[in-house]
Amino acid sequence: MTTTRRDALKTVLGSVALSSVGWESASAQAGGKFVYANNSPYDNLDPHTIFDTARAATRFNLYDGLYRWVDNPPKMIPWLAESHTVSEDGKAYTFKLRKDAKFHDGKPVTAEDVVYSIERMIALKKGAASLYLDAIKPGTTKAPDAHTVVFNLVQPSAIFLTTVPDILVVNSALVKANEKSGDWAEPWLARNEAGSGSYALRRHDPAVGWTARRFPEHFAGWTGQPFDDLEFRTVLETNTRVLGLIRGDYQGADGYLPYDQIQRLRQSPNVQIIEQESMRVFILALNNSKPLMNNANFRRALAYAFDYDGFIANIMKGSVNRNPGPNPNNIWGTPAGLKGYSYDLDKAREELKKVTEPLRPITINALAGFSESEQAATLFQNTLRQIGVEVVVEVSPWSVVSGRMRNANTQADIVPLWKSTYYVDPNNWVGELYGTRYHGTRTFSYYSNPEFDKRLDRALVSGDQEERRKLYEEMTQMVNDDAAGIFVYNTKWYGPYSSKVEGIRFSPVSNGQDIRWASLKR
Amino acid sequence: MIALLKRFARDRAALLGASLLALLVIAAIFAPLLAPYPNDVVDFHIQRRLLPPTAEALFGTDRMGSDIFSRILFGARITLTLAAIAVGSALVIGVPIGLIAGYYQSWISDALMRVAEIFLAVPQIVLAIAIAQTLGPSIENVILALSLTYWPFWARLVYAETRSMRNEVFVESAVALGASPWRVIVLHILPNIASPIIVRTSIGMGATILTAATLGFLGLGAPPPTPEWGRMIAESREYLPEAWWYALAPGIAIFLTVLGFNLFGDGLRDILDPRTRRSL
Amino acid sequence: MNWLSMVANRLIWFVPTLLGLLAIVFTLSRVVPIDPAVLVAGENASREQVQQVRERFGFDKPLPVQFFNYVRDVAEGNLGTSLFTQQPIVDDLATRLPATLELTVVAVLIAALIGIPLGVFCGLNRNSWMDHVLRVVTVSCLAVASFWFAMQLQFLFSMKLGWLPLSGRIEGFPPETVTGLMVVDALIAGDTEILGSALRHIALPALTLALPAAATVVRFTRNGVIGVINSPSVAYQTAMGFPRRVIVWKYVLRMALTATVTQLGLIFGILLAGAVVVETVFDWPGLGAYAVRSILQSDYNAVMGFTLCTGALFVLINLIVDMLQAAIDPRGAA
Repeated sequence: MTTTRRDALKTVLGSVALSSVGWESASAQAGGKFVYANNSPYDNLDPHTIFDTARAATRFNLYDGLYRWVDNPPKMIPWLAESHTVSEDGKAYTFKLRKDAKFHDGKPVTAEDVVYSIERMIALKKGAASLYLDAIKPGTTKAPDAHTVVFNLVQPSAIFLTTVPDILVVNSALVKANEKSGDWAEPWLARNEAGSGSYALRRHDPAVGWTARRFPEHFAGWTGQPFDDLEFRTVLETNTRVLGLIRGDYQGADGYLPYDQIQRLRQSPNVQIIEQESMRVFILALNNSKPLMNNANFRRALAYAFDYDGFIANIMKGSVNRNPGPNPNNIWGTPAGLKGYSYDLDKAREELKKVTEPLRPITINALAGFSESEQAATLFQNTLRQIGVEVVVEVSPWSVVSGRMRNANTQADIVPLWKSTYYVDPNNWVGELYGTRYHGTRTFSYYSNPEFDKRLDRALVSGDQEERRKLYEEMTQMVNDDAAGIFVYNTKWYGPYSSKVEGIRFSPVSNGQDIRWASLKR
Repeated sequence: MIALLKRFARDRAALLGASLLALLVIAAIFAPLLAPYPNDVVDFHIQRRLLPPTAEALFGTDRMGSDIFSRILFGARITLTLAAIAVGSALVIGVPIGLIAGYYQSWISDALMRVAEIFLAVPQIVLAIAIAQTLGPSIENVILALSLTYWPFWARLVYAETRSMRNEVFVESAVALGASPWRVIVLHILPNIASPIIVRTSIGMGATILTAATLGFLGLGAPPPTPEWGRMIAESREYLPEAWWYALAPGIAIFLTVLGFNLFGDGLRDILDPRTRRSL
Repeated sequence: MNWLSMVANRLIWFVPTLLGLLAIVFTLSRVVPIDPAVLVAGENASREQVQQVRERFGFDKPLPVQFFNYVRDVAEGNLGTSLFTQQPIVDDLATRLPATLELTVVAVLIAALIGIPLGVFCGLNRNSWMDHVLRVVTVSCLAVASFWFAMQLQFLFSMKLGWLPLSGRIEGFPPETVTGLMVVDALIAGDTEILGSALRHIALPALTLALPAAATVVRFTRNGVIGVINSPSVAYQTAMGFPRRVIVWKYVLRMALTATVTQLGLIFGILLAGAVVVETVFDWPGLGAYAVRSILQSDYNAVMGFTLCTGALFVLINLIVDMLQAAIDPRGAA
């Protein structure tokens, strides 16, 4: 078993060793400014409490993790850490840090900083912390010397390594200096930066955005013509972002614009659209714990009642592909030939007939400001009415929806939303969405199935890639048979950038916002 | 009475207002008959999304492929009912409070008017947004939010009017003759302050429709796919400038409705309440 | 009731009014469908941690106790912390106030510059065809939904013609903050590029905001002028042989000033209510947009801070207006 586990790690890290060279040699000819128009405000810069994709740019540009996700299909490359080893029992992960990394104030990055960072994350329990709360206990992470850090997990974990890029390292001396009565400097780090990242923060205003200057001494070195100045500006209105790109005011914007806007941008000579198959599944999350919703027949009736093809062909204008299961099509973990559900109101009525309990109105809670979510909700309301299911649509901002999802009783029956990539493993999707262990934290579904959980428990500790594949495929099949969720499409990323920019390195994790690789066309 | 009507008819602006309102009421009542696609409030044709105005769809189609013209007609129903109930309940709460506080000069009147002042200390829209958000988005809650924030306006108006009536000779003589307070209030004061209330009601309808549309625009009104005009405008933002027709029709509908109430109110003021000058 | 007792009366009621306002908003914030403790604790907090937060912030105490504690904090100048920016509400409000102030002042200027001359003109030429046209125009201005008007302006001037920016307050970051008013700061810094950018950004929101205010100014000025023309003193001076034009202008100027001052409270109310919507449409980083965002996200501390701030401002302005009015025309004070 141990050998197979090491093999698995080798496959993950195979790319690590290969891709670690190539950008450290040549010195850079720099210049220019990169202005990115973002669709939500950067009201908080803390890399340990903020984990949503909308505010992710600070994480990739101002901070460094031990490893880093790049490219598509995503691969993990060494970053602050050069390599790692795993103990025989699979519990101790020892990382060797590189010796030439420095924080923006010139202080070297040491193992102490890594220890402080993980302690801070699990103490604050926000953002990415949910990935580690079960696995790492406070005080267990050790720094035997300045460049070695040891994570001692509670039990072996198959996904810990894939989450290592999210352990972003802060300058512990600087942060500690700004702590007030054991607050881990949470208010201070919300407005300031203490990282080692490719860019150093210059200004931040929650109402405007932030600017950063290139950090020439960054350990990864610079090639090509990198941008000297970054500005991530909050531009809430979609139209302003689109017009700004067309006029050339912005060099980039988020790649998940409505497709109508992408078509508009394509006509502009100032704009290039970089197209990538992302890993961001649009689902109608079902709250499996509510009465009626806990009836698999009823859920199957729902799954047969959504007009997948109509939605994709008309509202998405054919810009995306159907994704029949919870995992994105472009990752392993889905059984070959999983058919999923199709739009078939007759089958829906058949399933509905098997429901013996009385029907009740169903609530759909759509995300405000995301028209696809709203349109999916109204479309679904319409088709459900045809099979005799009444629907109430509510629209709320993400903060409210996510607040409600914390509790099985307050989460709406159906929530149309996307599950993005936080780490590249099927557990990010099928595992987190349907495992009982994620209730109250990362689930959208409050699904509970002992058979599923048994497989999940095994898959989370197994080091055998083939075994894990089989387990996740079985779990996916269960979710499909139980119709525990409704899976619509996998998002394509249409990254709009200035036609003068090249070298944008997309990965489903950083969504083209990791700007250090980009440069101005000569 | 006939003389009054004649004066009203001579006022072209007021007449315009009255006709606009008549049009609106007809549209609202006969929406199912007038609408070319009466089912488009809940039925969608996603193959025909965002089509510009044609003979088939007079005002174009929206993001779900529904006929905007039909939705505007049904929206008139929502707008009118909503404003009527909201203003009506604000009157039902505000007028008695104003009458009682104005008639009795005691600490209760002071207290009542203080409560009204508290509500008037911030713009109505701010409190209405807060209440609507707390209650959750639905038409009923919008009505509740608007009534709860609008009654103090009436209380203050009626209070001031009642206060000035209190010292009129005919009121004092009625009191001296032993009329009960209720009798004095209902039979002597109320009829004499009815004019400003009626005039203000018309203008208040216009203001309430604007506030309700604003709530809809901010996403605090009825949930989709309700054909509420403010919500329709909010939905259209994303599709500008291509779908220029999308916001045009609901915006003009709001404009004409509010204009109708304002002109009508101005006309009423001229004939009912010559004391007050035309102002707002 | 004389001038002093009016002011004293207002001042006495100032604090209770604000307290009442706080009580209303506080009650609202505590019956929201989302547990405030969950919001404070963050997305991944465990049940125990939520419970800890509940105890630490006193959410487990009875509402009156919570309210008392909140008011005590407010009295000490502490409005709490925003759930989303992690900053003290006082700081958030302070950074956003100048943006709203700048927008409002420009809007008032536009409203006065358009409204007063038109109002005087209508008053002097009562029942002329221009008076009728302007009457319809002013009623129309008050009937337009400001968010819709804003969108049409954006459509025409930004999207079609490309003359003015769609939204925001400035391109990128502002110059060094001195007053917080972008136009003034750009002038101080002598930066014409930023000045131009600031002016181009403020044009559309200020115009949208000024529209209903200008209409109000026109109507009040017009009525004021008519009142002056028909007043006995003008009739008397006309009889005495003064040229009518001189008399009218002498009185009209004073009247226009009085009318503007007396209606300032009303106009301020229109502008503040308008700012909530206009700032949202134009992404203007002021108090109004902050309030809408806070309300939508159930950031109850921020909502209460905003309500307190506008309430105080509103009561204060009305007090000043009443005092001015009483000083100008002591008979009207009551």
